[in-house]
Amino acid sequence: MLLLQVIVGGLLLGAIYALFSSGLTLIWGMMNFINFAHGEFVMLGMYVALLAVVWLGGGPAVFGFAAAVALFILGVVVYAGLIRHVMRGPMIAQILSTFGLALLLRYTAFFIFSANFVSLPQTSLSGTVNVGGILMPLAQLVSGVLAVALTIGLHFMLTRTAIGSKLLAVSEDRNAAMLMGIRPNRMQALAWGLSAGAGGIAGALMAISYPWSPSVGETFGLTAFVVVALGGFGSVPGALYAGLIVGLIQAVSAYWLGPIYKDIVVYALFVALLWLRPQGLMGKA
Amino acid sequence: MLLDAQNVSKAFGDFLAVSGADLSIDEGEIIGLIGPNGAGKSTFFNCLAGDATPTSGKITFAGQEVTNASPETHARLGIGRTFQVPATFEDMTVLDNVMVGAFLRHPHRNEAREHARGIVELTGLNPVAHLRARSLGTPGRKRLEIARVLATNPRLMLLDESLAGLTPTELQEAIRLVRRIHEMGITIVIVEHIMEVIMTLTRRVLVFNQGHVIASGKPEDVVRDETVITAYLGHGHQRRRGDP
Amino acid sequence: MTKPPVVHSKIIVLAACLLLYPLVFSDAFYRDIGVTFLLAAISASAWNIVGGYAGQVSVGHSMFYGIGAYAPLLFYQHFGWPPIAGIPIGIASSIALAVLIGAPTFRLTGHYFSMATIAVAELIRIFTGTWEFAGAAIGLQGPAVARGWWDLTFRGELPYYYIFLGVLAILLYVTYAIEQRRFGYYLRAIKAGERAARSLGAPVRETKIKALVLSATFTSVAGSLYSIKTGFIDPESGFGILVSVQMVIIAALGGAGTLFGPLVGALILIPLQTATNTWFGGSGSGLTYILYGGIIVLIARFEPGGLFELWDRIAPARWKRSHAA
Repeated sequence: MLLLQVIVGGLLLGAIYALFSSGLTLIWGMMNFINFAHGEFVMLGMYVALLAVVWLGGGPAVFGFAAAVALFILGVVVYAGLIRHVMRGPMIAQILSTFGLALLLRYTAFFIFSANFVSLPQTSLSGTVNVGGILMPLAQLVSGVLAVALTIGLHFMLTRTAIGSKLLAVSEDRNAAMLMGIRPNRMQALAWGLSAGAGGIAGALMAISYPWSPSVGETFGLTAFVVVALGGFGSVPGALYAGLIVGLIQAVSAYWLGPIYKDIVVYALFVALLWLRPQGLMGKA
Repeated sequence: MLLDAQNVSKAFGDFLAVSGADLSIDEGEIIGLIGPNGAGKSTFFNCLAGDATPTSGKITFAGQEVTNASPETHARLGIGRTFQVPATFEDMTVLDNVMVGAFLRHPHRNEAREHARGIVELTGLNPVAHLRARSLGTPGRKRLEIARVLATNPRLMLLDESLAGLTPTELQEAIRLVRRIHEMGITIVIVEHIMEVIMTLTRRVLVFNQGHVIASGKPEDVVRDETVITAYLGHGHQRRRGDP
Repeated sequence: MTKPPVVHSKIIVLAACLLLYPLVFSDAFYRDIGVTFLLAAISASAWNIVGGYAGQVSVGHSMFYGIGAYAPLLFYQHFGWPPIAGIPIGIASSIALAVLIGAPTFRLTGHYFSMATIAVAELIRIFTGTWEFAGAAIGLQGPAVARGWWDLTFRGELPYYYIFLGVLAILLYVTYAIEQRRFGYYLRAIKAGERAARSLGAPVRETKIKALVLSATFTSVAGSLYSIKTGFIDPESGFGILVSVQMVIIAALGGAGTLFGPLVGALILIPLQTATNTWFGGSGSGLTYILYGGIIVLIARFEPGGLFELWDRIAPARWKRSHAA
């Protein structure tokens, strides 16, 4: 029974991993660009949620929305101010740009919020539920389900709507898209907003159930790499499957080997993937 | 026969870019590849150069099979190529660019530099030898690419629209350069849209359309071929020609 | 590419300054900065080979540094060997790791390599923190009192300074030699355009791996020098992300891919870091890294070629011509 609970808990957290990783994979698929600061977007989402609770009061809906909007704006700003300029330049500029941004965001957060772990005050989603004999916190259940829904929603948006096909057109062939009247810059800015926004909401969802500090960004960033590598770079459905799998593996490893191994196993999985199957389960290399 | 491509096909997922293309080239020939955009000639060209691996078919160079060989192996065997969008080493000087090519056959720096200097002279790049490639315009970059490949002592040179976008004077100079290279004994395959280049330089032309080779022969014959004209100008043209 | 006489004399002046510095500035404080500067210059110059010249941006180079730092103290702690004996073992292990990482990732686009370096460095850091044999989170210590000259436990900074200077000189010479040879040209070609380099016959993957191996070797040596001098190592000071960041920012600030870029970067950043740490005290390190992050972003956005590139662009043409070949 306990193992089953661990599994379900892992899947629910994995769903949140899937949500923020889908943002990372969207950018990779569209622009062949790796955002080393993506974990920091998630971390900032958590702090925005905290600030929203402190300043605005209100429940998950309020701070979730606040995190989404704030990070969406940040994503667009980062694109317009930085990414747009380094995108077509030398590799060193591309990699250093978001790597430096990650440091900047992380240590600014340390400076403003200190290194102490914080958590959200109790929300309306407190208490546990019993689903078929398995006990789980209501918050985790709602967060997990919502994360899956949002990830699927993102996928549908990309594949079934007009704006989604414009985004995909730009990722296929920038020049052709331009000739069709689509403005690549706008689409790419939108993609960055969506990507950061996804990270922000994911952060807010996680903040409901778990304490955090500015240091979590680094871990989330690497987790996102693993999920994206496993699911295939550029594939949102892949990110969904892979996120769930990573969450599962992480929870089971912690249960069997000890909590220290939680992260080791995930990173080791990433390294193994690079050797054995860099294109992941579902994506193109 | 220097290069023999048999029944080469290349598919990208469901899309068949090249279908059953054949090409045999004897040493010393100078061949043209023409066809409308998207006709598959660039993909075929990339297969010959080793940048793309054919989905089926066989390519042999000087008796050795190169169908799946890497671009590095191609270069070492003596196949060199230029790029449609010049890929010069922007932050390196013109001379250094050519030296990178020269190092293939001359591992030691002094010999590589001597050889590169000779190539720079031959290709008329002396005045800009110590400038960075990024300060050249597109014609300069294209010429630099040719020089760089030449420095690898190729037996076969694949030129990908290396004469596009030049002024009439520059074009004549470029044609002269290609001819000089040909006279050095190097076999050449040119992908080009400029008819003058095809007519004056090449002795044999292959025409691509929708992945197939639809015509092949002497330039003057091929340009008068019905199927070729239709491929370029569309069926409307054909209808007009049939009008009384 | 023969260097004109005016550059040779600059090198002589530089060498003289470096040699005389600790004799002129004999206070322990200044000598300590000098030693820190040299160590930073060595690490950054080592990174420069693969990150600057070949353009393969490693953001986890601390993995090599940490291995080089742990090896001497591991063998001292458990077998009583002089720490210096651990240096070749550190090098060998770093080379093995370099090949293990380079072989699969250099087949793919540059991003994979960069991601792999972060992941592996973090993996090793966390793992070392749990490994009792390596002192777990507490770390390892070196000889408190010298058993002989071979323990390299000097009381003053001076011997360390000159040893480090010697290593830096060797590394710079090796880098210079590479620059002149085919290997160096291929490195730059790979950075400038891998596809074109390949089409000219450059053995791209092999070259990248060689560059990584060379870089890992010297980075490992830098780590060894650090732990031998400090007499202490732990997972954070060996494998921490800030170790990696410092290497990158110093090389990139001065000019990644240039011979003296890392030196210039270290010349600026080490005194700056010492100053901010002193001014801001405990919170200083937080601010330092905000500054680092900001500098890296600015470099990436405006001048990826670093200060050398900036100088190249803004130096008046007349000055350049009078000093050119």
